[in-house]
Amino acid sequence: MISLTGVTKAYTKQSIGLDNIHLHIEAGEFVSIVGQSGSGKTTLVKLLIAEETPSSGNIEIGGWDITNIKRKEIPTLRRQIGVIFQDFKLLPKKTVRENVAFALQVAGESHKRIKDIVPRVLHIVGLGHKMERYPNQLSGGEQQRVVIARSLVHRPKILVADEPTGNLDTLNTKEIIEILKKINQFGTTVVLVTHNREVVNHLKKRVIAIDEGKILSDEKHGKYRL
Amino acid sequence: MLGFLRIIKFTFQNIGRNVGLSVMTVLILVLMLLSVNSLITVRALTQEASDAVKEQIDISVYFDQEVKDEEVAEVEAYVNSFEEVKEVTLFSRDEVLTEFTDKHKDNQDIISSIEELGENPFGPRMTIKTHETEDYATITEALSVPEYDQVIEAKTFADTEKTIQKIQLITSQVERFSALLSGLFGAIAFIVIFNTIRIAIYTQRTEISIKKLVGATDWFVKGPYMLSSLFFSLLSVIISFALTLLAIRFLDPYIMSIFNDPHFLTNYYFSHILVLAGIELGAVLILTILSSSLAMRKYLRV
Ligand SMILES: Nc1ncnc2c1ncn2[C@@H]1O[C@H](COP(=O)(O)OP(=O)(O)OP(=O)(O)O)[C@@H](O)[C@H]1O
Ligand SMILES: [Mg+2]
Repeated sequence: MISLTGVTKAYTKQSIGLDNIHLHIEAGEFVSIVGQSGSGKTTLVKLLIAEETPSSGNIEIGGWDITNIKRKEIPTLRRQIGVIFQDFKLLPKKTVRENVAFALQVAGESHKRIKDIVPRVLHIVGLGHKMERYPNQLSGGEQQRVVIARSLVHRPKILVADEPTGNLDTLNTKEIIEILKKINQFGTTVVLVTHNREVVNHLKKRVIAIDEGKILSDEKHGKYRL
Repeated sequence: MLGFLRIIKFTFQNIGRNVGLSVMTVLILVLMLLSVNSLITVRALTQEASDAVKEQIDISVYFDQEVKDEEVAEVEAYVNSFEEVKEVTLFSRDEVLTEFTDKHKDNQDIISSIEELGENPFGPRMTIKTHETEDYATITEALSVPEYDQVIEAKTFADTEKTIQKIQLITSQVERFSALLSGLFGAIAFIVIFNTIRIAIYTQRTEISIKKLVGATDWFVKGPYMLSSLFFSLLSVIISFALTLLAIRFLDPYIMSIFNDPHFLTNYYFSHILVLAGIELGAVLILTILSSSLAMRKYLRV
């Protein structure tokens, strides 16, 4: 599903984000990416959604070589990958429902389908009853759940989450991780970047540790050890 | 098509949910356009005023009583040969006499002394108008040649010369002042508008990146900003012209006493409104769309 061959990302000569990474992720996997601050985790995520382009190497997503993706094709790619960032917020002037609907509207979905899908995904994240609120009327955990709902509307084959629980307390973190596990059970490939030791140990799934842009370890049922 | 309808919907949703910013933007645009309109008004007034004064200026050439028709014709042809001359009018001896008696018909002394004389004491008169006030000097000088000393009794150039110079000075100063003021207003308006839009875009940069990250095309992100620019520009042109026309209604009665035209400004605006409003709308559109796309360029590249 995701394939990186010899990928290097050098922002400048001194600043290396990733250094000759080889990585293969199968469809349906749940992969945690761990590593110290500045090790290159976010760089990896940005390469996957074509927010950055690699300096060298090849990136393939679902058989699509996005290494030299054209600007015009980026929206199409983004509609196939769900993205969740720690600081990837909601549109403040739109209600919860409108925020989720927006991801469908940009893809030109029909009014009828939008009316059908939006309440359903909001239900999955347990916010069916707060659809008409504005983001600032929700808690941090609820906001993050709306972001997840939004990332689900296209039934993405891949969900990429960069520290989605970074700002949340234990309880909210647990809820978010449960939602991610549920999404993974439906067949979506999940790539989770996290600093949270408990989360990683609890998941008992594949763990990839990155350090200074290189893969340090890659274990099938890993634990958080840094 | 669906996308376009959604862009329109988002445009008005944005305007409505950012009421404060929308009102501010329109307000600034209206203030700018009002200052431009007041400059246009001042220009129209000074132009009209100096035209009116220039219209009253001419050179009068008084011929000798005994001058022959050929001699007058020769002078007329000579004067007409100058490019600067706009109009030459000739008054025959009889016409000059009639004009004189008409003017003094209430003064019995003058009338009776003319009658006593038994003959027309006046020579023909020629009035010359030029295109530009500067040109009067050229023409009076051209007429001050020895050949014409015999036929021309007097020229009224000495008196008018000072008036002409004064008018030239005043108009050129008014024009320089209003040009300076236009430039100043234009610069202030540009800075204010550019910054307003830049701040608006800056606060919306996270929104732009969010939209891009959920897979919105550039056009889908840009569209509402462009449409808002169009809407704000149209609205501000309409408001500013409505206010200008209203103000002119109050000004016209005062101006009437100067120009003898009870609706001078109203007429001026109505006969130029398409051009003025068109140019102003175009300029405001370029200003808003250019500054918003400049401000957005940076953030669209996510
Ligand atoms: N836009 C950029 N320009 C230059 N260097 C950058 C840029 N973005 C990241 N880097 C550098 O690339 C390296 C990896 O950064 P990255 O953001 O991927 O780290 P990270 O693992 O996500 O860290 P954190 O856990 O703090 O989020 C760092 O050394 C960083 O300084
Ligand atoms: Mg990071």
